[in-house]
Amino acid sequence: MLAASGAEVGRELIALGGALVVAGFLARAGRRVGLPTIPLFMLAGILAGPHTPGPVLIRDPADLGVLATVGLVLLLFHLGLEFSFDDLVAGGGRLLAAGGAYLVINLSLGLLLGLGLAWGGREALIIAGIVGISSSAIVTKLLVELRRLANPETRLLLGIVVVEDVFLAVYLAFLQPALGGTAAGLDAIVAVTRAVAFLGIMMAVARWGRRLVGRLLHTADDELLTVCFVGVAVLVAGVAAALGVSEAIGAFLAGQVLAGTSVAERVARLVLPLRDLLAATFFFAFGLMVDPDQLFDLIGPVAVAVVLTVLGNGAAGVVAARLHGFGRTEAANIGLTVLARGEFSLVLASLAVAAGLDGRLGPFTAAYVLVLAIGGPLAASRADSLSRLLPGRLLSKGPRSP
Amino acid sequence: MQEQELPGIGYRYDLEVDGGRVSIVIHHSGRRDVYISEDGRKRPTVVALTDDQARRLGAVLAGAYFRPAVSERIEALVGGLVIDWMTVRADSPGTGRSIADLAVRRETGMTIVAISRGDEVIVTPEPSEVLAAGDRLVVVGKPDDLGRFTALVVG
Repeated sequence: MLAASGAEVGRELIALGGALVVAGFLARAGRRVGLPTIPLFMLAGILAGPHTPGPVLIRDPADLGVLATVGLVLLLFHLGLEFSFDDLVAGGGRLLAAGGAYLVINLSLGLLLGLGLAWGGREALIIAGIVGISSSAIVTKLLVELRRLANPETRLLLGIVVVEDVFLAVYLAFLQPALGGTAAGLDAIVAVTRAVAFLGIMMAVARWGRRLVGRLLHTADDELLTVCFVGVAVLVAGVAAALGVSEAIGAFLAGQVLAGTSVAERVARLVLPLRDLLAATFFFAFGLMVDPDQLFDLIGPVAVAVVLTVLGNGAAGVVAARLHGFGRTEAANIGLTVLARGEFSLVLASLAVAAGLDGRLGPFTAAYVLVLAIGGPLAASRADSLSRLLPGRLLSKGPRSP
Repeated sequence: MQEQELPGIGYRYDLEVDGGRVSIVIHHSGRRDVYISEDGRKRPTVVALTDDQARRLGAVLAGAYFRPAVSERIEALVGGLVIDWMTVRADSPGTGRSIADLAVRRETGMTIVAISRGDEVIVTPEPSEVLAAGDRLVVVGKPDDLGRFTALVVG
């Protein structure tokens, strides 16, 4: 890089800067009408990429390679950092039941869709995750912006998202060996053993080593702390990827390890601007891969996926509301808010594409996320009127305290 | 007040009041949302406050800025120094004794800078000044010493 000529450096900087400017301004325009940022960053990638008319900022998504990957790493690192098993336990059995029901309904629908599309067994496994897991980022932001934080069902709704996050971690841990795919028999066993060993070690460190890790990382200086924790996150993610466990779960576990330490709160604050910047780069880079022509070919599968997701989330909302004695409005609020799909679907699709699975997964997920990351929040903001579509006899009349 | 964690957002505190409920959401970012839900109304009124605004509002709610008239003492902190007003009662240990007799400065480290007695104000009273019931004392010193002063003089 240092040896690159001036023209080369100029080209690369213009590409990256241009990408961020386009993504930033598009997302700002979207914010005015209440749209989340993730789909718009991706849309900016599609528009600025080589497959659409108009100026081409970046010809090859690989130009953003490391930055985009670090974006993915920091997304999962932050998730691991914020995630606490206490949240899960505190919610109690009914919350677990609501979250479990959500996962069973939506993952099964996703798996059925994947098998129905017949792109392959491993592809079906990935589609189950893409379709089955909500976007924590969009859901959380949505609740704040729709001013629903004081609603009775909000705790339950966030609890479902936490259950999904746990599932995502487990799913990511075992996905990569499964994606490795072609290897059968002994190789597959070795791969799974390696994954389990890595998970075991990281969880042991999170459980017993947090004092030591906290002491090693501790420094009063924000600058030094930032350099160190980003280093740890990227290093652990890299080791995980090298072991064939996927960088995503490595980053998540690095976050989990730091979550228990004395520096956790400062890391959570310092990582935000870095995560926002690099995650935007990741979403943009994902958009670059997408050829709109392919999007049109995939309208059928995407439409089916969207319909299944809407039905699955509606059903899960009703189940959750019933378990907690909530009424129709609350059921609609839950179902339509967790409908949003975003970062996790894109992470899964990018892992799948990198592992050499069916290339249609990229544009399929891009279109699916575009529809639900934009449509989900729009539907959630109209939950009051849409709740009339739910069959009233399934639910009690009004809210009962949880 | 009922406390609930909102994973990924922060904490929520609910207070049931007549005709509705007040909920405070403290975000991890430091932002505070105040939700006021009135019975029979669908949407709550919501105000978002920054950390600083919330602290000021909290101080007003706690009565730290404007104290109702019943309050006996007014306290202010200026750069690590506390200035306090207090009234000597008939049954206070200091009633009828002089400042020198009480050895206020040696015993407590606090200084009586003024006494308001009826219409009269005595600024920097002499050590020989005898305290009387109803005297309003203005004292200055370190916050840590205030307790000892109160115990010795006002009781």
